[in-house]
Amino acid sequence: MNGKFTLISLASKNLKRKPLRTLILMIAISLLVSTLVFALSFVRRVDSSIKLTSERLGADILIVPAGSRGAAEDILLENKVKTFYMDKGIMEKVGQIEGITDVTYQTYLITIQGLCCSVPETMVVAFNQDTDFIIKPWLKGKVSGRLLKGEAIVGSESAFNIETGAIEVDSVLFGNVFKMVGVLDKTGTGLDTALFMDEANLDDIIKKGKSDMKPGQISIIFARVKAGIDPYKVAAKIEDSVIEVDAVARKDIGKNLINTLRDINRIFSISVLIASLLSIFLVWAIFSAVVNERLKEVGIMRAIGAKESHVLRLFLFEVIIIGSLGSIVGIVCGTAVSFFLAKGFSIMKNISTDLSVLQRVYISLTGFVGGTIICVIGALSPIQRIKKTEPLNVIKEV
Amino acid sequence: MTHLTIENVTKTYFLEGNKIDAVSNITLGINKGEFVSIVGHSGSGKTTLLSIIGGIARPTSGRVVFEGDDLYALDSDRLSGYRCEKIGFMFQFSSLLPVLTAKENILLSVLFKSNGGASDVHEEKAVELLKMVGLGDKINAYPSQLSGGQQRRVAIARAFMNDPELILADEPTGDLDEETEAEMMRFFKSMNAGKNITFIMVTHNSDLAMQTGRRLRMSNGAIAEL
Repeated sequence: MNGKFTLISLASKNLKRKPLRTLILMIAISLLVSTLVFALSFVRRVDSSIKLTSERLGADILIVPAGSRGAAEDILLENKVKTFYMDKGIMEKVGQIEGITDVTYQTYLITIQGLCCSVPETMVVAFNQDTDFIIKPWLKGKVSGRLLKGEAIVGSESAFNIETGAIEVDSVLFGNVFKMVGVLDKTGTGLDTALFMDEANLDDIIKKGKSDMKPGQISIIFARVKAGIDPYKVAAKIEDSVIEVDAVARKDIGKNLINTLRDINRIFSISVLIASLLSIFLVWAIFSAVVNERLKEVGIMRAIGAKESHVLRLFLFEVIIIGSLGSIVGIVCGTAVSFFLAKGFSIMKNISTDLSVLQRVYISLTGFVGGTIICVIGALSPIQRIKKTEPLNVIKEV
Repeated sequence: MTHLTIENVTKTYFLEGNKIDAVSNITLGINKGEFVSIVGHSGSGKTTLLSIIGGIARPTSGRVVFEGDDLYALDSDRLSGYRCEKIGFMFQFSSLLPVLTAKENILLSVLFKSNGGASDVHEEKAVELLKMVGLGDKINAYPSQLSGGQQRRVAIARAFMNDPELILADEPTGDLDEETEAEMMRFFKSMNAGKNITFIMVTHNSDLAMQTGRRLRMSNGAIAEL
């Protein structure tokens, strides 16, 4: 005999006597757990991305042309390439509103593949280096001084960065030659796939007619409010004072996406609940059969001294072995699916934030505990029944 | 000193509306180290009485007292403890677990005693017991690889694993040939004499019964000395 003979080794031997039945139970549990892990990974990843973008934005309020809030969120949260413009004069009006301490702005342009240059369609962000507080924190140490005219810096996941494999490569954008002088730190937001340049380049781009924007236009204003002042109230004040804009408080960024996510979450929850009920039923049905088959054996065990707790433990070990092995397979499959299949969801495809190790551990533990508990719940009623087996009843039936 | 006392024990069954006293008002005392045989026709109540003494069949009335403890006044766990540590039961039928080897079947009773696993000492003892019943070469054989007689001998060895004070043997040599039966009887007598283990053996074989120190006969649920 290999190893010490224990109740666990007896449980393991019992499982091996009907390998197909054990395998079916394990597959059922692993399917349930992989659904759970995938659903949790999906929801957590989108949720984290929204929170991260909100936290790392550096501004308390976002101001965009009226009706462009969704487009701005698409850019910041989902790395989509979109443009919208408003008059630069609006920034002064916003800056004068009570409670606001700093304002800066950005202008969004889109490169056009095959027309202006040999790069994929990319978001280009022109910003003002004097007032900026959005890009600078991610630029530290990346460029020696100010970005000069004709110089650009690329996001950590930008197609430029990937395609060239190196910086300091000249690229033609909007008919002008740009030198890529650095790569931005990873922000975990939509900025990771963009290209950044000083706004001084805009005049040349407009002159060459390669963009649909007009002189004196900007896309977005970022504002910071005084400590202790409610950004929601300031945002409401901005919308009251400047009717051409929408103002979004930082914590409201991604609200529409969160609502969609809530619906997706509900669908996942219902699916997991149905899968759990089916798994519980399957485990109950199989263990009811197992218990009937082993009535005589349990009677013998009771007759030679097994307590009810020994019978309970033996069957619980069997259930826990099935549940835990099934859960581990489910965690691996669910994680793999969330990696490979997730790219099929447009909401995930554009999100650059990945889950942290802690989040992955949390999801895996939830899957493991969930799968094992579901298995135990299903088997509990048959186990309770068999642990009460009286030895004489069995002996008399022989 | 009386080791086991059976006081006015009755066990009643109802079969198709008819009341049947399988054991009828039996009173009996058995001393430590006695070797008692019980003979009687099929259906005379021998196995039922053995099951009552073994703590696996509650009597309809009466008491069974072992070393001062009224067995059926004990809670479920203490009664299991009695079955595990105080007695060794040899059943009339094959009572081995099919997924376990001969050695593991013997070690099974240890699991219920130690609450842990079987130690090396336990394993050595299990092997020793298998050798004593003539199955030293079948240590790792599964029940399906053993004959009926060999399975019976594994069950005999298992009954001694936890050093019981009382052996309850229900037709223990039923599947054995004459030679092996004689060997097993010698083994029982050596354990009875050497370790002062009390034996109560149910048998149809009057020759075997003649070899025991005290003989009882059961008839229609009642018991009498022979």
